[in-house]
Formats: sequence, C-alpha cells, structure tokens
Amino acid sequence: MSAAEGIRLPRAPRSDDSDAGSRRLALLCAGAIVALVFAQDFAPAWPGFHTWQYAAAVVLAAAGAGSYTWNARKGADGAFAFPLGVAMAGALVVAVAGLASGLLGPDTQTLERAPGAVAPLPEAGAAAFFPNVDSTSLARGDIGITLRRRDGSSLELLAGQRRFLGAAALVLEPHVAAYVEARDARGDHLTITQPTNAAFLSSLLQFPQAVPIAGQTLPADQFAIPSAHRQIKAFYFSRDATSKAHVRGFAGEDAVLFAVDDENGKLVPNGIGLARSGDDIQLAGLRLRVTIGTYPGLAISAVPLPLALGLGSLCLAGGVLAAVLRVPLAGRRLSR
Amino acid sequence: MRNALGLLFATIAAIAAVAIVGDYFAQSTSSQRFAGGPAALAGAPAASYQLKRLDGATDSLDRYRGRVVLVNLWASWCAPCRSETPALEKLYEQRRSQGLVVLGIDQGESGAAAATFARQLRLEYPILLDEDQRYGRAFSAIGLPTTIVVDKSGHIVRGIDGELSLAEMQQAVDPVLRL
Repeated sequence: MSAAEGIRLPRAPRSDDSDAGSRRLALLCAGAIVALVFAQDFAPAWPGFHTWQYAAAVVLAAAGAGSYTWNARKGADGAFAFPLGVAMAGALVVAVAGLASGLLGPDTQTLERAPGAVAPLPEAGAAAFFPNVDSTSLARGDIGITLRRRDGSSLELLAGQRRFLGAAALVLEPHVAAYVEARDARGDHLTITQPTNAAFLSSLLQFPQAVPIAGQTLPADQFAIPSAHRQIKAFYFSRDATSKAHVRGFAGEDAVLFAVDDENGKLVPNGIGLARSGDDIQLAGLRLRVTIGTYPGLAISAVPLPLALGLGSLCLAGGVLAAVLRVPLAGRRLSR
Repeated sequence: MRNALGLLFATIAAIAAVAIVGDYFAQSTSSQRFAGGPAALAGAPAASYQLKRLDGATDSLDRYRGRVVLVNLWASWCAPCRSETPALEKLYEQRRSQGLVVLGIDQGESGAAAATFARQLRLEYPILLDEDQRYGRAFSAIGLPTTIVVDKSGHIVRGIDGELSLAEMQQAVDPVLRL
C-alpha cells in the first residue's frame, strides 16, 4: 500500500451555509428565467428576444438552476432537494420554451394583405381573413381581422387588441390606405384593377412602395383603369408632408397625388393632381374620388408555447411553495 | 430516491425539449403565408352580397342556395370575357333544365356598359352589377374572367382563372350537378 493510498482525507461535510447559498442562487436563477421568458409575452415584438445575447442570458440562468438540480440529485440540500429540484426542473422547462421561441421562432413580421385575402398562420394554428372594405368603413378605421382556428371556431381581432394563439402573439396594426373610385366624363363607373397586386380587383391602395418626391419619401402605389387605357400612380401625402411641401390649400390635410399615364407609361396632359379625402378630382378625362383611412395589418410575433410555460410554471410554483411550507412531497417529510 | 429524482428530471427535460423545439420545426415546414387565387377557395363558403341586376331588381348569390351556381366575373373591356361569353350562354341553355344557375357579375362598371355588352351578345342569364368589385375581391380574382362553381350548400367547389371553353365549363359543373 502506498502512502497516498494509505491516507484517506475525510470528505468535507456540506455546511448549511453552503446549501442555503446554492438554494438562494437557484431561486435567483429561476426568477431570472421567469422574468426573461415571460417578458416575451409582455413585449412580443421586441427584437432583442431573437438575439444571441438574450439566449446567453437564459442559458446562464438555466445553468444556475440546472446545477442546483444536479447537486440535489447527489444529495445536497437535504430535505429541500426534492421540492426545489422539482421547482428547478419547472424553471428549466420555462427556459427551454423561451429559448425555442427566441432562437427558432421567426422575427416579428407584419402581414399586409389585400381585402379578401387569406393568410395561413401555422404558428397560431389559424388563418387570418382580411376583410372586404368600402369607403365608409375605411374612413371609420375600425376594421378588424377575423382569425379562424383549425377547429372551425373564429374570433375577431380589433385595433389595439392582442391575442395569443398557439406559439404566436397577434396584434392588429392599422396602416394608411386609400379607397379609389373612378368614373368617366359621363359619370359612369369604371373598373379599377391592380395588375401588380395579388388582389387584381381591389380598389384599395395600401402604398407598399416608398418614392422620393420633393425632398420627402412618400408612400406610393399604382392602379389601372383598363377601359380608359390608363395607368395611375398614387402618392400619399400625410398632414406633415402637405405642410412641408407647402401645397396651397392642402397644408395640414391628408391627400393623395395622382399621376395619370397612358398604356406606354407616358404622362398624359392634365394628368397630375392632388385630392383630399372625399373630394372628386378631374384628371385627363377621368373623375377620381379617394377616401383616405386605415386598413388593418397583422403583426405576428413568436412567443413561448403556453402549454410549456404553464407546466413549467406549475412545477416551479408548486416546488417553491412546498419548500416554503415544508409540505411533504412524494412521501418525504421536510425537516431540518 | 436519487435515481427517481434524476429519472424524473431527465424525463421532463426530454419531453419538454422535444415538444417545444419540435413544434417550431413543424411550423417552419408549414405552408406559405399567402394562399391566393380563386383555385385556393375550393371548400370555402361562397361570399354573398346584395347587388342590383340589369333589370333593376336586387339579387345575391345566396338567393340560389339549393341550386348549383356558376358565377362568372367579367367586364365589358375584357377581351377574353367577350370571347368566352357565347359559350357561357350556351351552357346556360343546355343545363338550365338540370338546375344550373349562371350568374354574370360585372366588375366595377355602371349599368350602361353592362347593358350594351348583354344586348350585343344576346345574353339571357342574369347579370349583376358590382360597382364596388366586392365579388372580385371575395373570390380572390387574379384576372378576368374568373369562374366560380358553387354547390347546392353554398360552398365553392372550384375557382378558375381565365377564359374557359364550353367543354371546360361542362367539365366543371356536370359533376356538381350530379351530386
């Protein structure tokens, strides 16, 4: 027997102070996990949730909670080990849910679709139905989006509301839009088409482009009046934009600038004019009426799966409560 | 006890990880965000709006519930619509006795243009005037003409973009008439 083999150093007993310290650290880590992950439900659109820094913070907190569980499995912290071990396992489930939505969930995106369009939302287990609109409802600006779930039930999402469906938070975000009507010189109604838009027969302009005009960047869109062989560009002037552009008679008012081209894209004589909401404007033999208002877009943000959050939180809360109240858990009495 | 605790944690962790992470991978392989065009409407309930007919009466698609309806979206300036219309009139004559309703819905035009078109082509089937192009948007038209076949229960069976021949129209409505 060697000298080294002959000398057995006694294992240092774990002190109560050390156990209490690791317990406090574990609870701190669990609290951090809950705060970090539940923050996704309170501000789902914050881009920080999809960064490596956020993931690192959750992993760090999870490592703290995990190390307690590991040590508890090896017998540390006596009678607190089981209830707090369960609590830490719950915190880890919450952490995994937060990491999954942060790292694997898509960044927040806003869907802007034409009236009548249907957008599948696989992360929400539903589909969004963008409503048909007329000039009156557009001007009111209170149009909602219908969400239809896989089970056939549906619910309405209105401006300012937030809904949680599956692993997604859905928020209605209205944006500026204009409803256009066209008549010929005799006053007969004319078909409006949007050849470059998925909604070919939509009279609603949603201004998806941005064009620099007179030192300002203006939202822009276009439509056609096939029976008159005209293509028309439309530029939205907000109240600020009309004020900055010093347009006589329009300062401080929303307006749309129309530019009428022929089929070859050449501007026709007397083909440019600015129109207020509700006004008729005569341009190149056409009578155009624009109604300015808002049409809903749908902002979708990834959030942690509610089931995972619920189960994790339940384990966490139950474990902590059992430890605090010293309630026997799994047939084991807590006493120190 | 230690083993039991370890097993419990390992099981919870494994189930949670697979369930949570797997869900996001399932989402990433799901369908595209945009479901467009009239073909995508098959199976959906057909939208219905009250409109004026050329003869001045009020009409709507849901008035024909219990009958098979072929809805044709058109406009007088649309050349393929003009060339398709004689076949549509022929289909109406052939299948009217079997319960088929043909509804022509003019998109965005006043009655004068639609009346001239109907008179020139001697149309017998009802023509509705949709100045606000609501049916066009509701049926996700990506061009004109657009044809929608609606079954007796008011659900869309087929949505077809573009000009159809008489044979293609018969092929679209005959199976639905037999149901």
